[in-house]
Amino acid sequence: MVANTTNPTALSESRDQGMAHSAPFIQQVTMLTWRTLITNLRVPASVLPSLFISVFFLLVYQASLSGAASFFLQGQSYLGFILPLSVVSAALSGAGTAGQSIVRDIENGYFDKLMLTPVNRAALVLGPMIAGAILLVVQTLAIIGLALLMGLNPVTGVSGLLAVIGFSLLLGIAFSGFTVGIALRTGSAGATQGASFLFFPLSFLTATFVPLDLLTGWIKTAAIYNPITYILEAMRAIINTGWDGAVVARGLSSVVLMGVVLFVWAFLSLRSRTQRK
Amino acid sequence: MSNREIVAEHLFKRYEDFNAVNDVSFKVETGEIYGFLGPNGAGKSTIVIMLTTLALPTEGRATVGGYDVVTQASQVRRIAGVALQEIGLDPLMKSMELLMMQGQFFGQSRKQAQDRAHELLELVKLDDVLDRPVGKYSGGMRRRLDLAMALVHRPEILFLDEPTTGLDPVSRRDVWNEVRRLNRDYGMTIFLTTQYLEEADELADRVAIIDRGKIRVEGQPDSLKAELGGESINVSFKEVEDVEAAQGELADMFDRMQVDRKTLRLYRADVAQVVPAVVSRLNAKSLDPVSLTLTTPTLDDVFLKVTGQRFESETDNQTAKPETKRGRRKSA
Repeated sequence: MVANTTNPTALSESRDQGMAHSAPFIQQVTMLTWRTLITNLRVPASVLPSLFISVFFLLVYQASLSGAASFFLQGQSYLGFILPLSVVSAALSGAGTAGQSIVRDIENGYFDKLMLTPVNRAALVLGPMIAGAILLVVQTLAIIGLALLMGLNPVTGVSGLLAVIGFSLLLGIAFSGFTVGIALRTGSAGATQGASFLFFPLSFLTATFVPLDLLTGWIKTAAIYNPITYILEAMRAIINTGWDGAVVARGLSSVVLMGVVLFVWAFLSLRSRTQRK
Repeated sequence: MSNREIVAEHLFKRYEDFNAVNDVSFKVETGEIYGFLGPNGAGKSTIVIMLTTLALPTEGRATVGGYDVVTQASQVRRIAGVALQEIGLDPLMKSMELLMMQGQFFGQSRKQAQDRAHELLELVKLDDVLDRPVGKYSGGMRRRLDLAMALVHRPEILFLDEPTTGLDPVSRRDVWNEVRRLNRDYGMTIFLTTQYLEEADELADRVAIIDRGKIRVEGQPDSLKAELGGESINVSFKEVEDVEAAQGELADMFDRMQVDRKTLRLYRADVAQVVPAVVSRLNAKSLDPVSLTLTTPTLDDVFLKVTGQRFESETDNQTAKPETKRGRRKSA
């Protein structure tokens, strides 16, 4: 009953030629992005809480701290100072979308189904990441819109706001590398959710409520090594004081560095998940 | 016709200290329906995930349509359709979306994928629920959609891992008819695992009975049954002691006897003719049977003969060892 002769050359060549090739990489990514977007929008509860948290930060900090902060602001707007924090929190929580989407696929078995198709493995993670980024931009726009209604008047105007959105986008994509990595490694929704919270201290171990110069002790040390600090500073400068090349460059390199590290982690995780065992 | 064979040569799959698949070899011919019959935890799913490129064999070699499952995985994926035991469908998506995306991943244009999706939805009779997310489907509907997903790229070889487990009898019939039709009309080779004897008997050209990682016997259902040597008399008693006593009493009359809980199965060539003798011998010893039946052998009997155990399907054995599957939820 065991066949000892399987001759691979006996295959009809027409089959090899007739084998359809998969869709181009860009199209695969587009399809997976679109799919993550519609599935997330079908469950609004998966998107709305993070928007709520960002709005909450903006309103509460503005209401409770704007008076106290006047001593270091020297006439600058506190709204402009605190808005970047709200944007960062939106980016961090919004980036969870990518990880959550992937973990959902793993848990319901759809990930395996996708693995049985010729789909590019990288597209499987890029799709959710880009979808998460799109949701994040929408969220950032909503927060900025709210800030404008509250009287925000950025010194750099519309281009400054676009730069803030750009930062939010980069940070969100970078951070999604983290949640995606956790999702792929654990395959557990709980772990992915939990790990996303690990990044919340990052938005507090930084120049959260006052500029870096005013911090002292261990929290200052933490803030100096926290890339979020420089991202916040760059956004704050853009809104409140104008284009400061050095500050913006420092912010940009921080977010890119963070992104590179987290993407490497995400792709190593992808390899370990998709490697046959 | 192209090579649509499935060949496994000395396949092993070890998980830590446990041999899920233990030296399994078989060959499925082009256009054949081949049934893998076994209880939960026998290793059926493990074989399917190895043959369909989701897991690597620890040892051994397998080809699907002539392609090596280890070194030519992407070719295998193109010619093989797979419906796994656990239906992997995103509950938030709709059937059209799932099928079209699947088609496009296999290289179909949007239009082609759309046409194919409509065709398949009609085929599996889901064309009236297009707007409902898959999460709202019944188990049978989900199974049918999963089957459609496996057919999107017109596979030459179809793997169905327990395609009817958990289905009601009507849905089960539908799946059976569909499997037969795919095999007949498209010459698809079909590899099917099942824990239902009836299903293997009904569908498969050949059956392999697998238990604890090993193929115990392989052959056409009819010849397997015929090899058992005709009919049997089954005598059931209230007490196990009676079974033992009866066994001693009747030993000289039969070629083979088998005890199955409180039932004694008696095998010989012309069983019907010895029923009176059996009854009078039991009477003489005041052994009162609860029931006495005559049966032609079933695959169940084949299973019992080769494994020494009664076949246990999911429903009547809750303590069965869970099927070893590729860990979807890896521990952290």
